[in-house]
Amino acid sequence: MSSRNQELGVTRKGVSEREVIASCESLVREYTRGSGGGWFGGGDLPTVRALDGVSLEVRRGEIVGIEGPSGSGKSTLLHLLAALDTPTAGELRVAGEDVGRLSERGRAKLRLEHVGLVFQRFHLLPSLSARANVALPLVELGWSKRKRRERAEGLLDDVGLGDRATHRPGQLSGGEQQRVAIARALATEPALLIADEPTGELDTATGRQVLDLFESLGEDHAIVLASHDQPTLAIADRVIRLRDGRVQGAAR
Amino acid sequence: MRVPGRVWLRRRRALVGLAVHRVIGRLRSSPQRVVLSVLGVALAVALVVAVTGVALGLTAESVVQNDDTDFWVVPEQSTAESVAVSSGGVKLGDVHAVSERIERDERVDYATPVALSVVPVTDRTTGETEYVLAAGIVPREGQELFGLSTTPLAPGDPHYANGSYDGPWTGEAVVNDAAASVTNTSEGEELQVARTGTNRSFHVLNVSQGEAGFGFGSAPIAIVHLSELQSVTGLAGSDQADQILVSTNDPAVRSDLESLYPHTTVVTKRGISAQQASTSNLPLAVGLSALLSALVVGVLFIATLMGLEVSSDRATLGTLATLGFASRSRSLLIGAETLVVAVVGGLVGVALGAASIGVVNRVVGAQFGIAAVAVFDPLLIPYGLVVAAVVGVVGSVYPIYLGRRTDILEVLSE
Repeated sequence: MSSRNQELGVTRKGVSEREVIASCESLVREYTRGSGGGWFGGGDLPTVRALDGVSLEVRRGEIVGIEGPSGSGKSTLLHLLAALDTPTAGELRVAGEDVGRLSERGRAKLRLEHVGLVFQRFHLLPSLSARANVALPLVELGWSKRKRRERAEGLLDDVGLGDRATHRPGQLSGGEQQRVAIARALATEPALLIADEPTGELDTATGRQVLDLFESLGEDHAIVLASHDQPTLAIADRVIRLRDGRVQGAAR
Repeated sequence: MRVPGRVWLRRRRALVGLAVHRVIGRLRSSPQRVVLSVLGVALAVALVVAVTGVALGLTAESVVQNDDTDFWVVPEQSTAESVAVSSGGVKLGDVHAVSERIERDERVDYATPVALSVVPVTDRTTGETEYVLAAGIVPREGQELFGLSTTPLAPGDPHYANGSYDGPWTGEAVVNDAAASVTNTSEGEELQVARTGTNRSFHVLNVSQGEAGFGFGSAPIAIVHLSELQSVTGLAGSDQADQILVSTNDPAVRSDLESLYPHTTVVTKRGISAQQASTSNLPLAVGLSALLSALVVGVLFIATLMGLEVSSDRATLGTLATLGFASRSRSLLIGAETLVVAVVGGLVGVALGAASIGVVNRVVGAQFGIAAVAVFDPLLIPYGLVVAAVVGVVGSVYPIYLGRRTDILEVLSE
């Protein structure tokens, strides 16, 4: 069990009794290789199975790590959990919604309201200040300017960047940019936080600060974290190991 | 999934605000493409403003050709048509005194009352009665009316004699070809008025082709001294005329003219032109051609450059999609950005167009001695902006299409 859960006094039994935020059952995702369809497209194009029968449950207050070599299906699983993609087969539920049955618009709404994403390369908008970047999802939610500003400043305070609110990404260090990205991911108070190699672009010390931030997020979120990096995965309550699109095992 | 109206509106407003913010941000960080887009629209709008200005100028010239009068004071019931046609309706009174008073203003080159009346005259050959449109004015050197020079007429209005109408009768007339033809008169001959109670006649000093607007090309016209026309038509009683023509280069004179008489209207050349624009198809065709060219050039320019901008900014669109921005919101953002760029281009274009009109007028003035060939009407400002907005809206279709085609997963894996 991670140090975080030890501090929180959360037992395995305690976690298992909590609300399921995301779950998948026999999840399959296949991709077609090459360009098919259209007027002149070929008929039978080869398919690649990126995920092959993955089953998983993520509960509130839990940090789940996903590890595996390149091409093992980590990113595919994250994209499906984030409702950025739809499964070829199997069932996937996020925040109670069946992702496979949602329209593109429905999936966008699901992401907006229930999923926060943190990327390896931060993906901040360079022309906007840290505050405006954090407030971005609230624009789509239709919040008033004053409320957006208050919420963004509060979140920047929480991640220790209250004094950097007006700085643009180019004026911030890598660690600071990742903290802004985490604040942005938390703006809509999502139940599920998904992080893809969140420390991949950071040095060890800065990476540690970001991991501490994830650990401090408390019991309101479920976090799914994909990484190659063992110290990063060490903050997880359990780690799912993927190989060739299948779950090879889990470690606690 | 229905969103309450207020939230919907706030979201749209915030997205437009974000679009403005991003355009400004891009102008600061990597302005090349945005500046090129702005310049593209600006050139298109400048073209449409400048050419429309020339078209307006052409219209003005074609209606009041070589006529130095800038303002026409007419009775309120009159229309622009009645500036040239005696309507037989309400007339202005005490016109000599009023015109003299107007002329005392330093900003005014000259002012003359104009009485228009259809006068019966005797055909010298057949003895039959024919009709000419007589215009009574107070002539000045170098003045023209209906394309006829009034220079041969003795300056001033001697017969008026301060309102006593007993001054010397000059009997001078300048007529056009049509009048000479219908009355069978030529230079140096007499034009006998065929009206009971008068045996007055006019001596034809000059016959010229002349040219009048409003389709008067072949109408018989004679220009005579005002008081003499008043005497033969019975308008002398209250010193009446149909309008007062005022020549000035100062537009501010207009407000003073408006307070001259109650129930009168001051018509400008442009006012007349606007009502008569349809009589000349060339300026309209020129203006429409410029509009279509500007729309095509502007749309191609902005669609291409904003399309490139969207392609190079796929990461942002991908990020917005991952954050939960619906496809419609992302399209609105792209559309608003394109529109913002187009409107900024429109503002620059209107300024450039106005400057172009100034330059054209200066060059034409210096080369050909013509005062102004193009007119900058204040309405060209909203016109240019509307053209820019149309360019923005139509030009946003392609960038929006590219934005919608952006594959989020592909962008995230880059």
